[in-house]
Amino acid sequence: MSVRSTLATAAGKSSYWFLHTFLHGGSSLPGKITTAIDPNILKAFGKKYDVVIITGTNGKTLTTALSVRVLKQKYDNVLTNPTGSNMEQGIVTTFITAQKSKRGKTLAILEVDEANVVKVTKYITPIAFVFTNLFRDQMDRYGEIYTTYDKILAGVKLAPEATIIANGDEQIFNSRELPNPIIYYGFNHQLAGDIKAPANTDGLLCPKCNHILHFGFITYANLGDYFCPHCGFRRPTLNYQVNKLTELTPTSSTFEIDHHEYKVMIGGMYNIYNALAAYALGRFLDVSQDQIQTAFEADKKVFGRQEVINVDGKQVTLILVKNPVGLNQVLDMILTDNDPFSFVGLLNANYADGIDTSWIWDGNFEKLKEHAIPAFMTGGERYKDITFRLKVAGIDDPITEPDLAKVVDKLKTLPTKKVYILATYTAVLQLRKQLAEQGYIKEGMEA
Amino acid sequence: MATYSLHLAHLYGDLLNTYGDVGNILALRYYANLMDADLTTKVISIEQSFDPDQFDLAFFGGGQDYEQMIVSKDIQTKKDGIVKFINDDKPMLAICGGYQLLGHYYIGADGEKIQGIGALDHYTLSQDHHRFIGDITIKNEQTGETYHGFENHNGKTYTGKSEQPLGVVVDGHGNNGEDHQEGAIYKQTYCSYFHGPILTRNGELAKRMLLKALHNKYPDADLSAQEALEIKPTF
Repeated sequence: MSVRSTLATAAGKSSYWFLHTFLHGGSSLPGKITTAIDPNILKAFGKKYDVVIITGTNGKTLTTALSVRVLKQKYDNVLTNPTGSNMEQGIVTTFITAQKSKRGKTLAILEVDEANVVKVTKYITPIAFVFTNLFRDQMDRYGEIYTTYDKILAGVKLAPEATIIANGDEQIFNSRELPNPIIYYGFNHQLAGDIKAPANTDGLLCPKCNHILHFGFITYANLGDYFCPHCGFRRPTLNYQVNKLTELTPTSSTFEIDHHEYKVMIGGMYNIYNALAAYALGRFLDVSQDQIQTAFEADKKVFGRQEVINVDGKQVTLILVKNPVGLNQVLDMILTDNDPFSFVGLLNANYADGIDTSWIWDGNFEKLKEHAIPAFMTGGERYKDITFRLKVAGIDDPITEPDLAKVVDKLKTLPTKKVYILATYTAVLQLRKQLAEQGYIKEGMEA
Repeated sequence: MATYSLHLAHLYGDLLNTYGDVGNILALRYYANLMDADLTTKVISIEQSFDPDQFDLAFFGGGQDYEQMIVSKDIQTKKDGIVKFINDDKPMLAICGGYQLLGHYYIGADGEKIQGIGALDHYTLSQDHHRFIGDITIKNEQTGETYHGFENHNGKTYTGKSEQPLGVVVDGHGNNGEDHQEGAIYKQTYCSYFHGPILTRNGELAKRMLLKALHNKYPDADLSAQEALEIKPTF
């Protein structure tokens, strides 16, 4: 490292210490201080690490967490960035606060926001990229999938030798010619027929000839064994594949990848994709199947964007929802529960939630009606929106409680032992604060 | 089984489906059920023909720039059918991109002029790296109804003499941020930039469209119960 880099790192580090000691937090300011003193700081770090960049709309955090577990089977030190620190400054902070490694290069697995990929690869040449998926986020059309992919590719262009490990079931990742070596992962767990996706699905145009794609099968949203009956464009050969779904529950998934059985303590088809992505990265870096199995099964606690909380004997599962594809996956997941449960929907519309609540209409709440769910409850600042959404789905008169402070008390009156709460970001924060004040959980937001 | 049945064409529903626009169809079905009518829908997409006589209602939503460009080419082949549908006084709802494509043209993300079908007399320009985003309230001066929604658009639309606005802007930006108008009405075609979606928050408009469709299809039926349906506020 140059004198300037060393100085910049020291300044950033001390600000991190200050922020954490006295202000309980702050993960982007140290990065800002460091980059202000040495704008090329990431270049200096890049020389000391083999870097893997994980990006995409959904699943970045869990894929990163699982990948770190997998790679720890082989590497003594694996550096990663904490959730939410996936922009340039947060990544700089991750490097400056890392423990020094005595040996040569260590591995860094970084979750990077789609638009920030180029800001990282400007300085650091990664050995690999992992692409999870590209879905429309709820906010505005600048976030449409094609422009988002262009942003990612702007970063990839600076690293033409890095291997891309991409979701092969996502057609957009097969839409451009790239010089990079590419590895595809995907699903091959059922016989292929010839179906079309439901109308309200995004990204259905063939990237080569602009006709509507067909599918051998669909796993969820627009992911699956796609093909174009018009021009012959089709899913590439998969290097790694899920060949069997053995058992899916809301808290665990058992499945086979390349005819080897794995179990992760998290529900949801979308999370199997995340595990598959971590597997593909692990195999690319020569981690064995047995080691990956050990890594997946090491932690028996349910993890990810759901949290199980005991509220006076009720098993309350709190799940963050933020866009329609994620919401539909969560609805599918909770419906795999064989026990009776109550359903709670908490909707806020602050900036962090998305100020437009129209995305709830893309959620397939009609599915809930097909199951005998004993009780429904709605709440949050936009409880009227979510209540009418349920009403249109055939669910009349849920219990409504706009005040999140009172939601905890109402939870206790629900008729079932199990309760699923789907909530937007700030609703999760507000509810957790209430649960913490009443002693059901510890303060603070987990990953 | 309901006494009445209505059939809705969902124009390019597999390509243009942003921001919960499909909620408009769910709302129409919900209110149709309260009015003793079943609502069936069919997606009419690229390379499929549109026969206006098969449908009682139509919905035309908004999409991503890329998909809208593909639709602008295909819709020229459906122009005659759509124009006939509108001139037959059948109710249609067009949101955002659908609204723009019913007019003469709009300006795409890269500044290119994208052709509509000119069924309605409006045109749409673009704003340079700016969008109108936020809650919006408008008032229809003919009916006195107030509509609530969420607007999110780059386009600035200017309506023609044969069109009435859907409402005067009370709060928000509207068609272009200049003339205090939002949306357009021509015959029984309602256009708007409202997402939210418009019919889930403004059931009066859903009721108006459904009543018109029922009167068109069942001219001799006694629809007084349907006329009397009370729309409860949802927002």
